[in-house]
Amino acid sequence: MKLKTLLCICLCVWVIGCSGPTTKNIDMVNDQGKAVMGLDYRDFDQAAAAMIDSLIRSGSLHKPGGGRYVMVTGGIVNDTMQRIDTDQLMAKVEQEMMNSGQVAMTSAMGDKAGASMVYETRDMRDSDRGDEFNEDTLPAKKQLIAPELSISGKIFQRNIKYDKKTQQVEYYFQLRITDLTTGLRFWQEEKVIGKRGSDKMVSW
Amino acid sequence: MSRYLFLLIIMGMLLAGCGSQVEDDRVNVDHRVGSDSLGDNIITRPFKYAISALLGQGIEITEVNDTLTPEGFLDVQMKGVNKAYGVKQFEYRTEWLDANGMVIPTKTSVWVPVSAMGKSEVTFRFIAPRKEAVDFRLNMRKKKN
Repeated sequence: MKLKTLLCICLCVWVIGCSGPTTKNIDMVNDQGKAVMGLDYRDFDQAAAAMIDSLIRSGSLHKPGGGRYVMVTGGIVNDTMQRIDTDQLMAKVEQEMMNSGQVAMTSAMGDKAGASMVYETRDMRDSDRGDEFNEDTLPAKKQLIAPELSISGKIFQRNIKYDKKTQQVEYYFQLRITDLTTGLRFWQEEKVIGKRGSDKMVSW
Repeated sequence: MSRYLFLLIIMGMLLAGCGSQVEDDRVNVDHRVGSDSLGDNIITRPFKYAISALLGQGIEITEVNDTLTPEGFLDVQMKGVNKAYGVKQFEYRTEWLDANGMVIPTKTSVWVPVSAMGKSEVTFRFIAPRKEAVDFRLNMRKKKN
Protein backbone atom coordinates (compact mmCIF):
# COMPACT_ATOMS: atom_id res chain seq x y z
CA MET A 1 0.00 0.00 0.00
CA LYS A 2 2.79 2.32 1.00
CA LEU A 3 4.65 1.51 -2.18
CA LYS A 4 1.59 2.42 -4.27
CA THR A 5 1.22 5.76 -2.49
CA LEU A 6 4.90 6.49 -3.00
CA LEU A 7 4.67 5.63 -6.69
CA CYS A 8 1.59 7.85 -7.02
CA ILE A 9 3.43 10.79 -5.41
CA CYS A 10 6.45 10.22 -7.65
CA LEU A 11 4.20 10.18 -10.73
CA CYS A 12 2.53 13.45 -9.68
CA VAL A 13 5.90 15.12 -9.09
CA TRP A 14 7.14 13.89 -12.47
CA VAL A 15 4.04 15.19 -14.28
CA ILE A 16 4.29 18.60 -12.59
CA GLY A 17 8.05 18.71 -13.22
CA CYS A 18 7.63 17.98 -16.91
CA SER A 19 5.02 20.68 -17.41
CA GLY A 20 7.77 23.38 -17.32
CA PRO A 21 7.44 26.94 -16.09
CA THR A 22 3.95 28.33 -16.12
CA THR A 23 3.13 31.32 -18.33
CA LYS A 24 2.78 34.58 -16.46
CA ASN A 25 1.96 38.10 -17.57
CA ILE A 26 4.84 40.52 -17.04
CA ASP A 27 4.21 43.39 -14.67
CA MET A 28 5.17 46.03 -17.22
CA VAL A 29 5.31 48.82 -14.63
CA ASN A 30 7.28 47.17 -11.83
CA ASP A 31 9.06 44.37 -13.66
CA GLN A 32 12.06 43.15 -11.68
CA GLY A 33 12.89 40.27 -13.98
CA LYS A 34 16.45 39.29 -14.75
CA ALA A 35 18.41 41.15 -17.39
CA VAL A 36 18.82 39.48 -20.77
CA MET A 37 21.76 39.72 -23.17
CA GLY A 38 19.59 40.91 -26.03
CA LEU A 39 17.53 44.09 -26.05
CA ASP A 40 14.20 43.84 -24.26
CA TYR A 41 11.38 46.34 -23.75
CA ARG A 42 13.05 47.76 -20.62
CA ASP A 43 16.11 48.75 -22.62
CA PHE A 44 14.00 50.52 -25.23
CA ASP A 45 11.96 52.24 -22.49
CA GLN A 46 15.16 53.42 -20.83
CA ALA A 47 16.75 54.61 -24.07
CA ALA A 48 13.60 56.42 -25.21
CA ALA A 49 13.16 58.12 -21.81
CA ALA A 50 16.80 59.31 -21.88
CA MET A 51 16.36 60.66 -25.42
CA ILE A 52 13.12 62.50 -24.59
CA ASP A 53 14.64 63.92 -21.39
CA SER A 54 17.66 65.25 -23.30
CA LEU A 55 15.57 66.61 -26.16
CA ILE A 56 13.17 68.54 -23.94
CA ARG A 57 15.92 69.85 -21.70
CA SER A 58 17.93 71.09 -24.70
CA GLY A 59 15.13 73.47 -25.75
CA SER A 60 15.88 72.61 -29.40
CA LEU A 61 12.21 72.04 -30.17
CA HIS A 62 11.18 75.50 -29.03
CA LYS A 63 10.12 77.38 -32.14
CA PRO A 64 10.93 81.09 -32.03
CA GLY A 65 7.69 82.99 -32.51
CA GLY A 66 5.60 80.09 -31.25
CA GLY A 67 3.86 77.22 -32.98
CA ARG A 68 5.04 73.71 -33.72
CA TYR A 69 7.84 72.44 -35.88
CA VAL A 70 6.87 69.96 -38.59
CA MET A 71 9.16 66.95 -38.36
CA VAL A 72 9.73 63.90 -40.50
CA THR A 73 11.21 60.60 -39.36
CA GLY A 74 14.19 59.78 -41.52
CA GLY A 75 16.20 56.59 -41.53
CA ILE A 76 16.70 54.78 -38.24
CA VAL A 77 19.30 52.13 -38.97
CA ASN A 78 19.33 48.86 -37.08
CA ASP A 79 22.97 47.78 -37.12
CA THR A 80 22.63 45.20 -34.35
CA MET A 81 22.63 41.43 -34.74
CA GLN A 82 18.98 41.37 -33.70
CA ARG A 83 15.81 41.69 -35.69
CA ILE A 84 14.63 44.99 -34.24
CA ASP A 85 11.73 47.09 -35.38
CA THR A 86 13.18 50.56 -34.80
CA ASP A 87 9.66 51.77 -34.00
CA GLN A 88 10.20 50.17 -30.58
CA LEU A 89 12.32 53.25 -29.92
CA MET A 90 10.87 55.81 -32.31
CA ALA A 91 7.17 55.37 -31.52
CA LYS A 92 7.88 56.45 -27.94
CA VAL A 93 10.11 59.37 -28.91
CA GLU A 94 7.69 60.63 -31.59
CA GLN A 95 4.71 60.30 -29.25
CA GLU A 96 6.35 62.34 -26.51
CA MET A 97 7.62 64.99 -28.94
CA MET A 98 4.09 65.47 -30.24
CA ASN A 99 2.57 65.43 -26.75
CA SER A 100 5.07 68.08 -25.63
CA GLY A 101 3.17 70.47 -27.90
CA GLN A 102 6.32 71.48 -29.78
CA VAL A 103 6.28 69.18 -32.78
CA ALA A 104 3.85 67.85 -35.37
CA MET A 105 5.07 64.76 -37.20
CA THR A 106 4.34 64.43 -40.89
CA SER A 107 3.18 61.19 -42.48
CA ALA A 108 3.57 62.62 -45.97
CA MET A 109 7.29 61.83 -46.12
CA GLY A 110 9.76 59.42 -44.62
CA ASP A 111 9.26 56.01 -43.03
CA LYS A 112 5.58 56.46 -42.27
CA ALA A 113 4.55 57.74 -45.71
CA GLY A 114 3.86 54.30 -47.16
CA ALA A 115 1.10 53.22 -44.81
CA SER A 116 -0.33 56.68 -44.15
CA MET A 117 -2.75 56.67 -47.15
CA VAL A 118 -1.76 60.29 -47.94
CA TYR A 119 -0.79 59.47 -51.54
CA GLU A 120 -3.39 56.74 -52.03
CA THR A 121 -6.08 59.35 -51.28
CA ARG A 122 -4.59 61.67 -53.90
CA ASP A 123 -4.21 58.87 -56.46
CA MET A 124 -7.84 58.03 -55.89
CA ARG A 125 -8.84 61.69 -56.24
CA ASP A 126 -7.13 61.84 -59.63
CA SER A 127 -8.62 58.55 -60.82
CA ASP A 128 -12.10 57.74 -62.12
CA ARG A 129 -13.01 56.43 -58.67
CA GLY A 130 -12.64 59.99 -57.35
CA ASP A 131 -15.94 60.85 -59.04
CA GLU A 132 -17.69 58.66 -56.48
CA PHE A 133 -16.68 60.96 -53.63
CA ASN A 134 -18.02 64.32 -52.56
CA GLU A 135 -15.53 66.73 -54.12
CA ASP A 136 -15.42 68.94 -50.99
CA THR A 137 -14.19 66.04 -48.88
CA LEU A 138 -11.22 65.28 -51.14
CA PRO A 139 -7.90 66.98 -50.40
CA ALA A 140 -7.07 69.83 -52.75
CA LYS A 141 -3.66 70.14 -54.36
CA LYS A 142 -0.76 71.89 -52.56
CA GLN A 143 -2.17 71.21 -49.09
CA LEU A 144 0.69 69.13 -47.71
CA ILE A 145 3.07 70.86 -45.31
CA ALA A 146 6.77 70.28 -45.91
CA PRO A 147 8.83 69.25 -42.87
CA GLU A 148 11.23 71.72 -41.25
CA LEU A 149 13.12 69.17 -39.18
CA SER A 150 14.08 65.53 -39.54
CA ILE A 151 14.96 62.96 -36.92
CA SER A 152 17.29 60.13 -37.84
CA GLY A 153 19.53 57.73 -36.01
CA LYS A 154 21.13 54.40 -35.52
CA ILE A 155 21.16 51.49 -33.09
CA PHE A 156 24.33 49.44 -33.16
CA GLN A 157 25.94 46.68 -31.18
CA ARG A 158 29.47 45.73 -30.17
CA ASN A 159 30.35 42.31 -28.79
CA ILE A 160 33.52 42.11 -26.73
CA LYS A 161 35.17 39.11 -25.12
CA TYR A 162 35.44 40.07 -21.46
CA ASP A 163 37.21 36.95 -20.18
CA LYS A 164 37.21 33.22 -20.91
CA LYS A 165 33.61 32.69 -19.86
CA THR A 166 32.13 36.17 -20.10
CA GLN A 167 31.15 38.38 -22.99
CA GLN A 168 30.26 42.05 -22.96
CA VAL A 169 27.62 43.44 -25.27
CA GLU A 170 27.28 47.17 -25.77
CA TYR A 171 24.23 48.68 -27.43
CA TYR A 172 24.44 52.24 -28.73
CA PHE A 173 21.29 54.27 -29.37
CA GLN A 174 21.95 57.45 -31.34
CA LEU A 175 19.44 60.06 -32.51
CA ARG A 176 19.94 63.42 -34.22
CA ILE A 177 17.67 66.25 -35.36
CA THR A 178 18.52 68.24 -38.47
CA ASP A 179 17.09 71.53 -39.72
CA LEU A 180 16.08 70.71 -43.31
CA THR A 181 16.32 74.35 -44.45
CA THR A 182 19.88 74.97 -43.37
CA GLY A 183 21.17 71.43 -42.99
CA LEU A 184 22.36 72.30 -39.50
CA ARG A 185 22.09 69.74 -36.76
CA PHE A 186 19.95 70.99 -33.85
CA TRP A 187 20.42 68.20 -31.37
CA GLN A 188 21.95 64.79 -30.96
CA GLU A 189 22.17 62.27 -28.16
CA GLU A 190 23.67 58.88 -27.47
CA LYS A 191 22.59 56.38 -24.86
CA VAL A 192 24.70 53.30 -24.20
CA ILE A 193 23.34 50.17 -22.55
CA GLY A 194 25.94 47.60 -21.56
CA LYS A 195 25.46 43.97 -20.57
CA ARG A 196 27.89 41.39 -19.30
CA GLY A 197 27.02 37.71 -19.17
CA SER A 198 27.87 34.17 -20.03
CA ASP A 199 29.70 33.57 -23.27
CA LYS A 200 27.21 30.81 -24.01
CA MET A 201 24.33 33.29 -24.21
CA VAL A 202 23.53 34.50 -27.68
CA SER A 203 22.75 38.18 -28.12
CA TRP A 204 20.85 37.95 -31.38
CA MET B 1 44.80 42.77 29.23
CA SER B 2 46.32 42.83 25.76
CA ARG B 3 42.85 42.09 24.28
CA TYR B 4 41.41 45.19 25.98
CA LEU B 5 44.31 47.26 24.75
CA PHE B 6 43.71 46.05 21.16
CA LEU B 7 39.99 46.91 21.38
CA LEU B 8 40.85 50.30 22.81
CA ILE B 9 43.19 51.00 19.89
CA ILE B 10 40.51 49.94 17.38
CA MET B 11 37.88 52.13 19.07
CA GLY B 12 40.34 55.02 19.12
CA MET B 13 41.00 54.59 15.41
CA LEU B 14 37.26 54.44 14.64
CA LEU B 15 36.60 57.59 16.65
CA ALA B 16 39.48 59.34 14.95
CA GLY B 17 38.01 58.23 11.62
CA CYS B 18 34.62 59.68 12.46
CA GLY B 19 36.23 62.97 13.25
CA SER B 20 38.32 63.20 10.10
CA GLN B 21 36.95 65.58 7.46
CA VAL B 22 37.64 65.97 3.77
CA GLU B 23 38.80 69.51 3.20
CA ASP B 24 36.29 70.19 0.41
CA ASP B 25 33.01 68.30 0.66
CA ARG B 26 32.50 68.55 -3.10
CA VAL B 27 35.33 66.08 -3.54
CA ASN B 28 34.96 62.40 -2.70
CA VAL B 29 38.08 60.26 -2.86
CA ASP B 30 37.66 56.50 -2.96
CA HIS B 31 39.67 54.69 -0.27
CA ARG B 32 41.61 52.78 -2.94
CA VAL B 33 42.87 56.10 -4.32
CA GLY B 34 43.32 58.28 -1.27
CA SER B 35 45.94 57.87 1.44
CA ASP B 36 45.21 55.84 4.51
CA SER B 37 44.74 57.75 7.74
CA LEU B 38 44.60 56.85 11.39
CA GLY B 39 40.84 56.44 11.17
CA ASP B 40 40.60 54.98 7.69
CA ASN B 41 43.04 52.21 6.99
CA ILE B 42 43.22 48.52 6.21
CA ILE B 43 42.57 47.60 9.86
CA THR B 44 39.67 49.92 10.62
CA ARG B 45 37.91 49.67 7.26
CA PRO B 46 36.30 46.23 7.77
CA PHE B 47 34.90 47.43 11.11
CA LYS B 48 33.50 50.57 9.52
CA TYR B 49 31.91 48.51 6.74
CA ALA B 50 30.40 46.12 9.25
CA ILE B 51 29.03 48.94 11.42
CA SER B 52 27.60 50.68 8.34
CA ALA B 53 25.90 47.45 7.24
CA LEU B 54 24.61 46.86 10.79
CA LEU B 55 23.13 50.35 10.91
CA GLY B 56 21.51 49.70 7.51
CA GLN B 57 22.98 52.83 6.00
CA GLY B 58 21.89 53.71 2.47
CA ILE B 59 20.62 56.57 0.32
CA GLU B 60 19.10 59.62 1.93
CA ILE B 61 17.53 62.37 -0.17
CA THR B 62 18.66 65.70 1.22
CA GLU B 63 17.48 68.28 -1.29
CA VAL B 64 14.82 68.60 -4.00
CA ASN B 65 15.03 71.56 -6.36
CA ASP B 66 12.56 72.28 -9.11
CA THR B 67 12.43 75.03 -11.68
CA LEU B 68 10.62 75.82 -14.90
CA THR B 69 12.68 75.80 -18.10
CA PRO B 70 12.33 78.85 -20.39
CA GLU B 71 9.95 76.68 -22.49
CA GLY B 72 7.75 75.97 -19.44
CA PHE B 73 8.71 72.39 -18.52
CA LEU B 74 9.17 71.41 -14.88
CA ASP B 75 12.81 70.48 -14.32
CA VAL B 76 13.64 68.64 -11.09
CA GLN B 77 16.98 67.89 -9.47
CA MET B 78 17.34 65.56 -6.50
CA LYS B 79 20.37 65.55 -4.29
CA GLY B 80 21.10 62.79 -1.87
CA VAL B 81 23.88 61.11 -0.04
CA ASN B 82 24.95 57.51 0.06
CA LYS B 83 25.74 56.92 3.71
CA ALA B 84 26.90 53.36 3.10
CA TYR B 85 30.51 52.49 2.37
CA GLY B 86 29.73 50.44 -0.70
CA VAL B 87 28.29 51.49 -4.06
CA LYS B 88 24.48 51.67 -3.96
CA GLN B 89 22.56 50.98 -7.15
CA PHE B 90 18.94 51.99 -7.26
CA GLU B 91 16.21 52.95 -9.71
CA TYR B 92 13.67 55.73 -9.63
CA ARG B 93 10.40 56.20 -11.44
CA THR B 94 8.60 59.50 -11.78
CA GLU B 95 4.90 60.12 -12.22
CA TRP B 96 3.86 63.56 -13.40
CA LEU B 97 0.79 65.30 -12.02
CA ASP B 98 -1.24 68.10 -13.57
CA ALA B 99 -2.78 71.08 -11.74
CA ASN B 100 -5.73 68.89 -10.65
CA GLY B 101 -3.42 66.25 -9.20
CA MET B 102 -4.21 63.84 -12.04
CA VAL B 103 -1.45 61.56 -13.29
CA ILE B 104 -0.21 62.38 -16.79
CA PRO B 105 0.57 59.14 -18.62
CA THR B 106 3.91 59.46 -20.40
CA LYS B 107 6.53 57.19 -21.93
CA THR B 108 9.14 58.71 -19.64
CA SER B 109 7.60 57.14 -16.52
CA VAL B 110 10.05 54.25 -16.49
CA TRP B 111 12.55 52.92 -13.98
CA VAL B 112 15.79 54.82 -14.44
CA PRO B 113 18.99 53.37 -12.93
CA VAL B 114 21.33 55.44 -10.76
CA SER B 115 24.60 54.41 -9.15
CA ALA B 116 26.04 56.17 -6.11
CA MET B 117 29.57 55.75 -4.82
CA GLY B 118 30.03 54.90 -1.15
CA LYS B 119 30.02 57.83 1.29
CA SER B 120 29.33 60.21 -1.53
CA GLU B 121 26.75 62.70 -2.72
CA VAL B 122 24.53 61.67 -5.60
CA THR B 123 22.51 63.92 -7.90
CA PHE B 124 19.96 62.98 -10.51
CA ARG B 125 17.78 65.13 -12.67
CA PHE B 126 14.58 64.62 -14.64
CA ILE B 127 12.29 66.84 -16.67
CA ALA B 128 8.54 66.76 -17.26
CA PRO B 129 7.69 65.88 -20.85
CA ARG B 130 4.54 68.07 -20.79
CA LYS B 131 3.92 71.66 -19.83
CA GLU B 132 0.77 70.60 -17.91
CA ALA B 133 2.94 68.83 -15.32
CA VAL B 134 3.15 70.99 -12.20
CA ASP B 135 4.09 68.36 -9.65
CA PHE B 136 5.52 64.86 -9.46
CA ARG B 137 5.63 61.70 -7.40
CA LEU B 138 8.79 59.61 -7.20
CA ASN B 139 9.35 55.99 -6.23
CA MET B 140 12.73 54.45 -5.58
CA ARG B 141 13.70 50.79 -5.44
CA LYS B 142 16.81 48.67 -5.26
CA LYS B 143 18.27 47.88 -8.66
CA LYS B 144 18.29 44.22 -9.57
CA ASN B 145 20.97 43.26 -12.02
